[in-house]
Amino acid sequence: MVHRALLVCAGLWFGGTLAAQQRPITGKVTGSLDGKPIAGATVAVVGSTMLAVTNGTGDYTVLVPGGPVTLSVRAVGYKRRLVNVRGDQGTADVTLEADIFNLEAIVVTGQATGVEQRNLANAVTTVSPENLNRAPTQTIESALQGKIPGALIQMNSGAPGGGGQINLRGVTTINAGVDPLIVVDGMVVSNDAIPPGLNAVTAAAAGGNASTQDNAVNRLADLNPADIEKVEVLKGASAAAIYGAQAANGVIMVTTRRGVTGAPRFTITQRLGTVGVSHLLQSRRFADSADAVAAFGHDSLVGVLCPAATGCPYFDNERALYGQHSLSYETDLTASGGSGSTNYFLSGLAKRDGGIAPNTGYDKQSLRANLDQTLSRRTRLTFNNQVVHSIADRGISNNDNTGTSTYLVLSGTPSFVDLRPRSGAYPNNPFAASNPLQTFAFLKNREDVWRVISTASLTLDALATPRHRLQVTLTGGIDYFAQHNDILSPPILQFEPNDGQPGTIVLGKASDRRLNLTGSVIHTLSPASGRFTATTSAGFQLQDADINLTSALGRQFLQGQQNVDQASSINTIQKELPTRSLGVYAQEEVLAASERLLFTLGIRGDRSSVNGNTDKFYLFPKGAVSYRFTQPTGFLDELKVRGAIGQTGNAPLFGAKFSSDTTGTIFGLPGTFISPIVGNPGVRPETNTEIEGGFDATLGREFANVNVTLYQKTITNLLLLPRIPLSTGQVNRVINGGKLRNTGVEIGAAVSPVRTTETTWIVRATFFSNRSKIVKLPVPTFQTGGFGTGLGAFQIERGKSATQIVGFDSTGAIVKVGDANPDFQMSLSSDLAYRRWSLSFLWDWKHGGDVIDLTQLLYDAGLNSADWNTTGQARFGEFLKGNTSAYVQDASYLKLREVTLSYELPASVTHRLFGDVRSARVSFSGRNLLRFTSYPGLDPEVSNFGNQAIARNIDVAPFPPNRGFFFSIDVGF
Amino acid sequence: MNAKSLTPGLLVAALLAAGACDFNITNPNTPPIIGPNASPERVAAAVAGVLVSQRADMGNWVLKSSILGREGYRIDVADPRFITELLQGPLDPSNAAFGGGQWPVEYAAIRSGYDILNVLSTAQLTTAQKNGVQGFVQTMQAFSYMIVLYAHTQDSIPVDVNHPVTDPPAPFVTNQAAWAHVASLLDSGATALGAAGTSFSFPLPNGFADFNTPATFLTFNRALLARADAYRASTFAAVGLYDSVLTALSASFVDTLKSMDLGGYFDYGTGQGDISNALFQAAPSAIQVARHDVYDSAEVKLDATKDNRVLGKITARGSQICGGSPSLCSTYSWIRYRSPTAPIPIIRNEELVLLRAEANNARTARDAAAAAADINAIRVRSGGLTAVVGLAAVSADSMKGMLLRELQYSLLFEGHRWVDLRRLGRATDIKIERPTKDQRFLTLPIPLFETQPREP
Repeated sequence: MVHRALLVCAGLWFGGTLAAQQRPITGKVTGSLDGKPIAGATVAVVGSTMLAVTNGTGDYTVLVPGGPVTLSVRAVGYKRRLVNVRGDQGTADVTLEADIFNLEAIVVTGQATGVEQRNLANAVTTVSPENLNRAPTQTIESALQGKIPGALIQMNSGAPGGGGQINLRGVTTINAGVDPLIVVDGMVVSNDAIPPGLNAVTAAAAGGNASTQDNAVNRLADLNPADIEKVEVLKGASAAAIYGAQAANGVIMVTTRRGVTGAPRFTITQRLGTVGVSHLLQSRRFADSADAVAAFGHDSLVGVLCPAATGCPYFDNERALYGQHSLSYETDLTASGGSGSTNYFLSGLAKRDGGIAPNTGYDKQSLRANLDQTLSRRTRLTFNNQVVHSIADRGISNNDNTGTSTYLVLSGTPSFVDLRPRSGAYPNNPFAASNPLQTFAFLKNREDVWRVISTASLTLDALATPRHRLQVTLTGGIDYFAQHNDILSPPILQFEPNDGQPGTIVLGKASDRRLNLTGSVIHTLSPASGRFTATTSAGFQLQDADINLTSALGRQFLQGQQNVDQASSINTIQKELPTRSLGVYAQEEVLAASERLLFTLGIRGDRSSVNGNTDKFYLFPKGAVSYRFTQPTGFLDELKVRGAIGQTGNAPLFGAKFSSDTTGTIFGLPGTFISPIVGNPGVRPETNTEIEGGFDATLGREFANVNVTLYQKTITNLLLLPRIPLSTGQVNRVINGGKLRNTGVEIGAAVSPVRTTETTWIVRATFFSNRSKIVKLPVPTFQTGGFGTGLGAFQIERGKSATQIVGFDSTGAIVKVGDANPDFQMSLSSDLAYRRWSLSFLWDWKHGGDVIDLTQLLYDAGLNSADWNTTGQARFGEFLKGNTSAYVQDASYLKLREVTLSYELPASVTHRLFGDVRSARVSFSGRNLLRFTSYPGLDPEVSNFGNQAIARNIDVAPFPPNRGFFFSIDVGF
Repeated sequence: MNAKSLTPGLLVAALLAAGACDFNITNPNTPPIIGPNASPERVAAAVAGVLVSQRADMGNWVLKSSILGREGYRIDVADPRFITELLQGPLDPSNAAFGGGQWPVEYAAIRSGYDILNVLSTAQLTTAQKNGVQGFVQTMQAFSYMIVLYAHTQDSIPVDVNHPVTDPPAPFVTNQAAWAHVASLLDSGATALGAAGTSFSFPLPNGFADFNTPATFLTFNRALLARADAYRASTFAAVGLYDSVLTALSASFVDTLKSMDLGGYFDYGTGQGDISNALFQAAPSAIQVARHDVYDSAEVKLDATKDNRVLGKITARGSQICGGSPSLCSTYSWIRYRSPTAPIPIIRNEELVLLRAEANNARTARDAAAAAADINAIRVRSGGLTAVVGLAAVSADSMKGMLLRELQYSLLFEGHRWVDLRRLGRATDIKIERPTKDQRFLTLPIPLFETQPREP
């Protein structure tokens, strides 16, 4: 029998016991449909540990024992095949059938183990590189949208450089961390979002509201999609339990590409495109001077701008700012190969995403080197290294209190005001504090990030017999990035003198370091009887992280100066967030009953410096079982039923255990006073318990594949920041308590209606629906996030949805006015290939889910909304009666996320054009080309406060969304 | 090293690395709360912290009370609520910048004061120094209660708040009882200051330059008591308390011969850790604007220019600014705070002179001549106007009207107009420019986050 529970880390088995009599078998592995050679296919000898890997031309040579043998041949994307080879046979060519539904792909089940998709007991979604790179994307979040049932992925705004949130299976927490754990090649990497400090200009956080409104980028943005071999998404606790106290929000496991033995292979992808704004708001048109005067008063100014004789002109200042179509490009180079004991994969990326407004855009360069080195028969080293650099010029957006953020200005600027420069000089905006055209021309908001992610892994095959395999792996890694924010708001900007200190400069330097040390031991037992395979794994994971944020803020300097030391008023801040944690785990996976039955038990213990008790290990167990029925009926090829249960935790946020004072100075005297939060010295992680069950079916001779999963996720020991009466002098306290429940259903379906040598067509669909409910709340109802009840606030209340939005009604009573949670999400994608042509698209539909549209309120309050005369006036009237619901809007959408048409150039053409190349393809692709929504704002995907557990979906003057068209050429050598 | 011996070696190395880690990481960012045996420096920082904490709300209080008292408007495209909510309502009790304000910051300051007082007995200070700390802290706590009470007139407020946060919430007491608590805090502070020696153990910022010893700070304490007693006398029809106002004033720094600006202030700055005065604005781009009739109805001096108090606080904006629907417009900017570091007054001589006039006019044994003398002194010294002839002969009610007028211009944009109109029974004088839209608010609601956490 072949070893069933394959080891992900291992992938390849070298060496093994060498029998006395050996002979070589050579052959070629090709695809059954297209006849093309398959590189990297594994050819293993059943019942032994001997194995070989095909080279770039699909050829292999494997040493086998004397006599007849059975070869097991497998490759990513193809179905495993067993080939009997007679004792006198020296060659064996093998054709592999495409594994349309990836049933035999190895999917992660633990920190170091995996199992074939068809046996998997959890609904783990795998995204392949073809799916990921269908159309160019700024950051990986948008490349995952619509591809993962169970994931709500939304961008925070359209600003260059990204910033988006991935929510897996609903609301997992109220006041703890919200982002999934990101694991790249076994190493936990940072997805921190460090605010750039734009608040120095916008003063958004003044006025009694929360901060974090700077439109920060979470650093998942640094991954290069072209480097990715696969993305596996562990959505809930039952799958992610082995990551313990870090995995309450799920785990996104990224595996990068590796080299395959053989001659060097090169690929070049060149993309050229253009990015433009996809939606703008427009503003009110004034019928005549009287209309304008009625709105803005008997102002001599209105009479001049909007003369009675000629009427009111309409200047589209919004388009003048955001109407830019700029060139975007991306160049990807890869080189891979290997010989002897060394394999390599190298990649380089240089890209620029042009901005839709002047002086905005995103540049990224990345270099990767992944090396595999065999040290001896039993040991090998792997290195994964990425260096990435990015520069994002993000302009100014989101909430402000200084009249500087574009839509806060335009909402109060009537359309008869012409803000365009005249002979190079920008006019002052007579209706607001700033002229956005001038602001974007001169304001710099640049984020410059250098990042290194580097891991080294040593694997030792301590024991390798047909019955026992023992593998030890030790991996050390570092993830370090330095984020440099440079904000320069020069004194000549209209608004700058308003605070009495013309000129604002922010110099932010943040360093974020994570060290990982993980070790694992995996033992696989395959008894001679062949009745089962048991994989036992155990290991530890030690992490040490330190985030150090420093920022210098200077005000008042001369035009032309740009160093912070030239400012006459300087303030500096520093914040440090050191954490340390240790996890230990053990897991047992047994595959039995002719590979039909899989059951798993595992447990993880975690201790961390952020807990109140830093010595205590909090335990997170898991268990899972699946059974595969082969050919249960004539119509069903295969049916798998599965069930799993598991626990994860969500660690307290840094500092939750400390009660402390706040500091400030008055006239140079240092002062300390009570901080708003009462810490909890006994704080512990949340407990997230998930039960999931479902079935996977393949039917009609691989015509279709359906996965249905139901889950219930219950979070107890919730980390809560309930309000305490303000008269205590403090605002919130930290407690563990309460119970939050999520119930949901995920459906993934794929149909392969046509599969011929000329045509293949695969259609995939997903459906996802989740409901949350606060089952228990040990404290009175409290609000979390928002700008006060009157403008819509998120309220945590027993028996209610965790994402309910409350507001006032006209009687002043607090009532539910909406819910940010979508009713359901669906997506539909199609990949059609006909001869040399292929056409793909992806539709993404979110139904329901409300957004608090304060941008619309601002336009109405400015008497300036485009629909003022039809519905705006009445809407504003409702608000003035006290009805918060006037600005809580349905944010359903249907978006054409991706569309790509490509053509594989015939060899005759490619030879003429490029010389000696393997393949060449040209493509046209687009992202977010179409959108259907009744949402009145710029984009129903929006979050003024960035990534939030609850209080997303607040729209305040965001950066407008964009869409892009690209032309690409891919050439392989 | 062969493979078999490598395995345990690696594991041991890994476990050693794990064991070497210290998981007890202390808070690197903020200091712990002041505790027992505090050093003089720690106490000094905590005392300064009370001022830092209180100061955080002064700009919002001055702005909001100026709008509620219709001294001016804020026409802000970035936040329509300065018009919609503060003029039209409803007041939102959940947002501290609007209807829910003048509460969290004040109670934080009060609590920060108690954090000092609760450990003061063990501090490394002499008894006299401890008395100095107590006197200063209690006086400033009383000021914070006064701001809460200025803004919340129709409901009760909690005063017995010196308890751990895990205790049941402090009960609400009536406004009258709360004002009595303010007076008793001031008296307790005064007693402590009387036994505090000749100097404080802690430095004070520039805004207290004239009150930086126990003896001089006592005059500041008495000035606050005069204000509190005048509020109680006028609001709760306790005319007898006007005599207490005069007593308190006589122990305060009131002096018609000294600068009208003599007083205590909150300083603002642009240095490290400091905050600037958000009420500063450049006149041509001002969004905090004066209501026209505040400017128009000001008296003119003999040289035909406006009252000096108006000239110093209001200036032409240069262009009109309008907002709201129907539009509210103004061409006058506030310039009460002329730089980002301009201090905001806590209490100053000019108010004390007018409090004395109020008390002399309203007390049972009315002294119209003394009241008239003080009112005229203010008109001449502060406004540059002429004295009103025969003022001493007018009725008490007429004199109250004239007094309110002087109060309006003397204390313009300092957080008094709304309070004075209410407490002196002239709330109907709060000007309503758009009768179908706007309302007169006499109080802010109790914050939602005071009441909601008390619910079962």
